[in-house]
Amino acid sequence: MVRLTTVELHRLVARRMTVIGVVGLLLITLLLLFATWLEARPSSAVEQRAAQSQYEIAHQQWVDGHVANEAACNEQWEKQPDPKPKREDMCSYPEPRPEEFGKPPAVFAELMPDLLHGVSYLLLFAAFLLGASFVAAEFSTGAIGNWLTFEPRRLRVYGSKLLAAAIGLVPVAVVVLGVLVVGTYLIVDQLGSTATTTGKVWGDLLATAGRAVVLTALGAALGGVIGLLLRHTAAAIGLAMGYLVLVEAIFGNLLNKVQPWLVRLNFEAFIRHDTTYYVNQCSSTSDGGYLCNSVVKTLTFERGAWYLGILAVVLVVFGAAVFHRRDINS
Amino acid sequence: MPELAISTRGLRKTYRTRLGRKVVAVQGLDLDVPAGGVHGFLGPNGSGKTTSIRMLLGLIRADAGTMTVFGRRVPAQLPEVVGRVGAIVESPKFFPAFTGEKNLQLLAEAIGVPRRRVGEVLEQTSLAERGDDRFRSYSLGMKQRLAIAATLLKEPDLLIFDEPTNGLDPAGIREIRETMRGLGNQGRTVLVSSHILAEVEQVADTVSIIGHGRLLSSGTVAEVIGGGTATTVKVAVDNHEAATRILAAAGMAVRADGNYLLVDGAGQPAEITRRLAHQELYVSELVPVRADLESVFLELTAEEKI
Repeated sequence: MVRLTTVELHRLVARRMTVIGVVGLLLITLLLLFATWLEARPSSAVEQRAAQSQYEIAHQQWVDGHVANEAACNEQWEKQPDPKPKREDMCSYPEPRPEEFGKPPAVFAELMPDLLHGVSYLLLFAAFLLGASFVAAEFSTGAIGNWLTFEPRRLRVYGSKLLAAAIGLVPVAVVVLGVLVVGTYLIVDQLGSTATTTGKVWGDLLATAGRAVVLTALGAALGGVIGLLLRHTAAAIGLAMGYLVLVEAIFGNLLNKVQPWLVRLNFEAFIRHDTTYYVNQCSSTSDGGYLCNSVVKTLTFERGAWYLGILAVVLVVFGAAVFHRRDINS
Repeated sequence: MPELAISTRGLRKTYRTRLGRKVVAVQGLDLDVPAGGVHGFLGPNGSGKTTSIRMLLGLIRADAGTMTVFGRRVPAQLPEVVGRVGAIVESPKFFPAFTGEKNLQLLAEAIGVPRRRVGEVLEQTSLAERGDDRFRSYSLGMKQRLAIAATLLKEPDLLIFDEPTNGLDPAGIREIRETMRGLGNQGRTVLVSSHILAEVEQVADTVSIIGHGRLLSSGTVAEVIGGGTATTVKVAVDNHEAATRILAAAGMAVRADGNYLLVDGAGQPAEITRRLAHQELYVSELVPVRADLESVFLELTAEEKI
């Protein structure tokens, strides 16, 4: 099994599709860093002058009117029926500050989690594609028949392919995430603020990146299963796209109560360590009407992890059963 | 009983077409392939040759029957003997974007064969100079040679070639034929399936003929040919009429064939010479017309209404 997995890893690395996929991922990562640099770089002198002038106008207005405004507001507050809102919520006129005008500085602790979440989707998609292509190519070229005349133990062959796809994509994910985190830190350190990057922030980022790596490996293995079942890369991608559009987008939106049972939300719950979603709760009112409210619900990390784990096990076992019994006629 | 490389009993496989119709590809095949030498596995297209070979290699599942390779039951014990079996099923299938050498290296690694063996088999199959080229750039003959090189990686005792000369030019066909004969001469067992009988007749020591998924005849080439039709002798003599009368009187069946007479039932051809010479008719040509594998094959398969 170890030998077979090693051979499959060699094959994975030697594939042109893998090389193209990895280069593509690194290019996209560099583009993201470029976008971060554009976002973080300070405003031009003209923009800074415009912001300063906006601040001065706002400050002058505050100096001229905040006392009168507060008094008028207090008067209004007194007339409010009970229960009254808090006075400081209703009648607070804080003094404008210069940093509230113009482009806010980039903060690493705020920027990085969203970037990591975005890239984890990208990694999952790329891993699925490369895994599907890695296994499906053997069926579409007919090379699997030749392979089985060298190693007829099908479950070993199957296991080695999925393991190789999963293991092979781990360093790719680590490099992509590493380049992204280090690159973003260096950019923001120069152009924005990294002061709030505490040990806890680093810990959370590391945990998110770790989960992204796990999902990349899982995506590659499941891509392999789908590639094996459908025997063509294009069919595997078509199935994935069809699922995303028909089930996740259309069905999920029409019937939003099913969202916790769909892959995307569970993926989010796993990668973000809990996520929220909205459900419309409708009921009849006492005056004979019908009222719908949007209620926020939480899908926990544990739930997402269980869901993805069970889904992976079911698909892998199903793929094994199909491959074990399948006649290789090509 | 000689040692058997392959033996099947009651082997059966049915397929369902897309419309749900059942097609029997192999129906109760009993096949024995003796160890050592070249064994021709003959049958018309669609007679079940490739399906039988795929079942032997564990690529498809048999519905019924038993199979053994070197005494091991397959597919259950196939992993125990697969190292002794090299096979090319239909056209050679490799990764088109990889070089010939890379394809072989992957297979060699999978079975724990040292890398230098890849160079050796490329050399053996005259592919050493094209080893660095992508498989997709190979001609059909080179692809076939690469497939043979792959089977040789294991130094197998049994080689299975399924229609190995399909699509090859005459030089390629001759090359493959010589390779098979050479392997057979080394004491290995070569099972070659084909529907081109003249080709198999030139290399095979033993043959099995199948039709409609059943064994029709089996044995050495001489046995199979002998069992098919009686020996005919072609005779050239001046006086056809007199010769016909004399030979017919001796119980032989005579018919005209252009400038010759075709005589059946003569026993020894010398008997024809003796009887005609006794009547002062002298034979200028006497050629035994041997039945060939093709005529036997056509005779057998016609009986099966194939």
